[in-house]
Formats: sequence, structure tokens, C-alpha cells
Amino acid sequence: MKVKPVNHARAAEAFIKDTPHLTFHDERLWDLRQKRDQQMHELPEWQELRTLASQIKEHTLANLPEYLEQFEANAKKNGIHVHWAADGAEHNRIVGEILEKHGVKSLIKSKSMVTEECNMREYLEPRGVVVTETDLGERIQQLDNQMPSHIVVPAVHKLTPDVAKLFAEHYHTDPNDDDPQSLAWSQRLAARPVILAADAGMTGGNFLVAETGTFVVCTNEGNADLSATVPGLHIATLGIERLVPRMADLGVFVRMLSRSALGSPITQYTTHFRGPQDGSEMHVVLVDNGRSHRLGMEDFWTSLKCIRCGACMNTCPVYRRSGGLSYGAVYSGPIGAIIDPTFNERKYSTLPFASTMNGSCSNVCPVRINIHEQLYKWRRVLAEHHELPFVKREVMHMAGRLMGQPKLYRAAISGTETALGVLPRFALYNWLNPWGKNRELPHPVKQTFHSWYKQNRLKTKKKGEDA
Amino acid sequence: MSSRDAILTRLRDNRPDPAAYSLPPVARLGDMDASRARFEKSLTLLGGQVLAPQAGESLSAAIARRFPDAKIVCSAVPEFEGTVRIEELGTPQKAADVDVLVVRAPFGIAEMGSIFLSEAQLPTLNSAAHLTQHIVVILSESTLTANMHTAYIERPEFHAARYGVLMSGPSATADIQGVLVRGAQGVRTLSVWWEQ
Repeated sequence: MKVKPVNHARAAEAFIKDTPHLTFHDERLWDLRQKRDQQMHELPEWQELRTLASQIKEHTLANLPEYLEQFEANAKKNGIHVHWAADGAEHNRIVGEILEKHGVKSLIKSKSMVTEECNMREYLEPRGVVVTETDLGERIQQLDNQMPSHIVVPAVHKLTPDVAKLFAEHYHTDPNDDDPQSLAWSQRLAARPVILAADAGMTGGNFLVAETGTFVVCTNEGNADLSATVPGLHIATLGIERLVPRMADLGVFVRMLSRSALGSPITQYTTHFRGPQDGSEMHVVLVDNGRSHRLGMEDFWTSLKCIRCGACMNTCPVYRRSGGLSYGAVYSGPIGAIIDPTFNERKYSTLPFASTMNGSCSNVCPVRINIHEQLYKWRRVLAEHHELPFVKREVMHMAGRLMGQPKLYRAAISGTETALGVLPRFALYNWLNPWGKNRELPHPVKQTFHSWYKQNRLKTKKKGEDA
Repeated sequence: MSSRDAILTRLRDNRPDPAAYSLPPVARLGDMDASRARFEKSLTLLGGQVLAPQAGESLSAAIARRFPDAKIVCSAVPEFEGTVRIEELGTPQKAADVDVLVVRAPFGIAEMGSIFLSEAQLPTLNSAAHLTQHIVVILSESTLTANMHTAYIERPEFHAARYGVLMSGPSATADIQGVLVRGAQGVRTLSVWWEQ
């Protein structure tokens, strides 16, 4: 059976109907974007940092096999066990075997998008391992049986009462607690005993350093450091594209990561793991899961530069008004829309259309990924591969014909302007016109630019000049 | 073929031309101010505090004043007694009972108000830095480095430590309706005591 494409538009429609959630989501993410701008303006070297970050990442990706081998050799020298997983299934099997060997029944973990990619919890839990997310947002999502809706702030689509309800159900706290401070405290109290009794800890990671065999974890809550240092067994899962060549390259990335993500200069914790504590064991699982394939895609390989800051999501008007869950994928927002189709072209064929092509995502990207251009290129690829829904395909055909013939196009445009001006609301806002859904159409202009130009500029041209 | 070799082979087959993408020289950019004033400003922004002595009081008197209810004060430095030494804790369970941990950081970063700790400063128990309720960090002004570039270029600890954490203020979260909560799951407060 063919997999059905995610119906992003329909899911977004449900999100938009809930005004309090929508308003908070939109304003909270825009606030993060503004805080990011404030940080950016404090560093005159910001654009230079972006260029350097992009160059370092492109160089690393072009030399990825050599740097991975260098990382592996150094990590092994320092006593880290290094594993390679071709896909999610292999990753889960590797982790499962390590846990089984140590008789692990309780695993605590910090946030990791790669383990989400691999559906690791779903694999481990039937095998008798209780997996506890320790990041507050991620834990909220785990209790609610939902995917993270944002790669940095996983529960940003929820309001305080939603959390109070979940905690009341699972932690037996007051269902009417409307104080985020005391709810966060409840999480601390609930998590501590689980952390202290856990058999193993797991983290993701933001960077791998080839030169030293180090991996780096950037977090705020302290839960990742607890997960890594309290149990005697630490497993870290990272995508193979997380590499940088030199320790000193981290300066460029750490200076931009949290500024881009949350508008704070740095995460509260920036932790460098280069080897196990005395008497402990440390494993790194390097995950491919489609990345080596993506590296060969001429138009899309630079999406592997991504450092997962989420700035493109915070700035995206479509993401802010549709919510991460509406993308139906592990990665949402603009970066998700260009990565997800590499996992499953048909299932995620709708996502590159969840954009107004305003280009803001590319402008805020700290590693200069041309996100909006890749969105456009994905649309072409999907059209060529016949992954467009019927209506969109037909409209595209019509638009293609129209735009290929200037006279027809101008007639149509002036017709549209007239229509916007004179048609009653019911004719403009109905199911045949998706642009009229949940948004007001632009006010009609009195005159198109083309006819104005014809009237004013062409007349003033000197004789003998070509029109 | 092992997954390792299969992945490496695929990467070699698929990658863009390595000759087209050279590695830029190590960057050393930005504000080179390594002053105590800049450090304190950054530290405060990230929720950290300066524990300043009142009328020439000792570290021990300042801690007693700042944490009057503390029962277990753990020391990881030679010049301060506390009620227990970090080497005596032995297990994370014991470290979880600590109210205040006193440590010395080998350096700080002015740009971020960050302090560095590794296994060298947390003998036998790295988790102590995160299980304690509060942490007091002794720091010398002379060890301040300007920013992240200078820190990674100059500090040997990044190449030597097996566990190296930059702590920038206390643990924090804003995962519930965007409200910033200082003191999430790690230390609830982080205070810096300037070494005389």
C-alpha cells in the first residue's frame, strides 16, 4: 500500500481554530526571533561568523569519511566505544544490545532528535526497558504521547493548563496549578529519584570534534549532565554530520547556537565528553540513517550543515501559525520541510509547500543554508516525480500557461484585481480558494504596476529609444 | 561489509569534491575584553551571581550568610573545610544530599560568564556539580579569557579533560509557556567568589 502524504494544511487548520494556543505559539516564537536579533546586533562579526560556520561545515562534509575515521580513532584511544548505525533499526539494535549486556531496566535520557528519528523508545519499551525523558519539554511530550513539536522547545505548542493537567495525571500534582515555576519544580522532584536509581543514561549531542574524539552537548536544564554522569553507563547518539575538524572551530558554532535558538548568549551547560569517568563506560553511536545518501544530492546536501538551532522555525510565518505537530514529522518547520522528503518523498511531499517563500529562514540560518531555495527546488523535484496532489498539479499547469504568455497573464491579473474589489465575501472565501482560508486577501490595488508603467514611464521615453 | 565500511564507502561515493571546499583558518574574532566587569555582566545575564564579601568576611562566613539553612556543605578545595569533602561522598546518592558545593574553576570566559569544571576539580564524582542544590565557584580574575574563540584556542583543558563542562549560570528552563525558571534540574544557584 502506498503511504499517504501528510495533510499539513488540514492539521494546521485545526491548530489555527484554537485561538489561545495559536496566539501564544505565534508570539512566543516571534519573541525568540526578536531576542535572537538583539544578540546578533551585539556582535559586529555576526555575518563573518555565519560565513565561517558555513565554510567549516561544507569543508567537513566534503571530507566526512576522513574526519569520521579521525574522530573514531581518537575516541577509541580515550576509551570510548564507537558504533556505526546505517539506519534507525540498527541504531536501536546496538543500543538494545548494550543495555541488555548491562541488565539495564531503567534508562534516563536527555533530548535527542536522532533517537526520535529512530523511534528508539518504541523499540526499547517492549523489551523491558523503562525510558524516561528528563528534559522538561520532552518529558511533557512523552507523557502526552506526542512527538516534539519544535527541535529546541519541544512543548512550545502547549499552555500552562495543559501541563498542569498532564502532571496531575502522572505526578499527582494540583490540576489547577497555573504557576510554571511550581510545575517545573514538580518535574525536578519527580525526576531526581528516577535519575538516582537509573541503570544507564543517554544523551544526544551537538558536535563531534575529529581532532580530539570529543562530543559536545549543549543544554540548559542540567538534565543531560545528570543523565551522563550519574549512572555508570553513558550512551550518546549523534548523526554523522555533527562533525567539526578542530576543537577551536567550536568557538564559531557555540557563539551562534544559543543566540540563534533562544536569544541567549550560550546554553547554561556546554559539556565536552572526551572519555568515560573512572569506573564508567561510554559509548557513541554514529548514525547515518539517510545522511550519506543526502550528501550525494546536488541541490540538497548543504542541508547537512544544519546545527539544529531552530531559528528558521521561529521566524517562519507558516510554522508559527501551524504548529510543529501539523508537519507530521520528526523535523518540522522550514528545515524539516527540506530534510523530511529525503526520509520519505511521498509521505512528506506536502511539506515543501508549507512556505510563503519569504526567505526569512535563509536569512536567520547561522550556517547559511539556502533553505527557501531548497524548498523551491523540492517543489520542482516533487512535481517531476508526480508527488503533487491533483488540485495543486492542475493549478500549476494553469499558472504555467498563464505566466508563459504575458498578454494572457496581464488580462488575468487585472481581472483578479477587479474581482478582489467587487466580489462579495462568500465568493472569495470558500473552499475553491485556499488562499482565502484563515487569512484576509490583500486589498486590491487601483492599478497594476504594468499599466502604471505603460502610462507614465513609456510616455516619457525619448523618441528613438526602444520600448 | 560492516555498516561502518558501508557508510564510509557511500560517503566517499556521494560527497562533493573535497578540493572545492577548503578549511578556513581558525577564527579569533570579536571583543577581546577579558575584564572582570564584562564577566560579571555576562554572568548576571545568565542568572549567575557574585558572592561578594561583606566587610572583609571570609569565604566560609559569606557562605554561612548566603545559605543560612544549608546543612551539608561539601568542599572540593583545600582551603575550605565544609562539612564533608567531595572525595568522601563516594556515590551520587550521597551527592544528592549536598546543599552547597564549593569548587575552584581553572578559568572563566568573559563573553559568556561561563566557568569551566572537569574531573580535575570534581575528584571521583563529576555528578556532584549537578546533584548539589547550590554551587559556589572560586575564580581568579587572572584566569579570565575574552571569548569562546580565545577559550578554545588557549585553554589546554579542552584537550586534556575527559569531562569538561562550561557552566553559565544555574540550570534553567522555559519549557512551560515560555516562562523562564532559574533552577531547573541541576544547580538552583551558581555564585562566583573572586579569589583575592
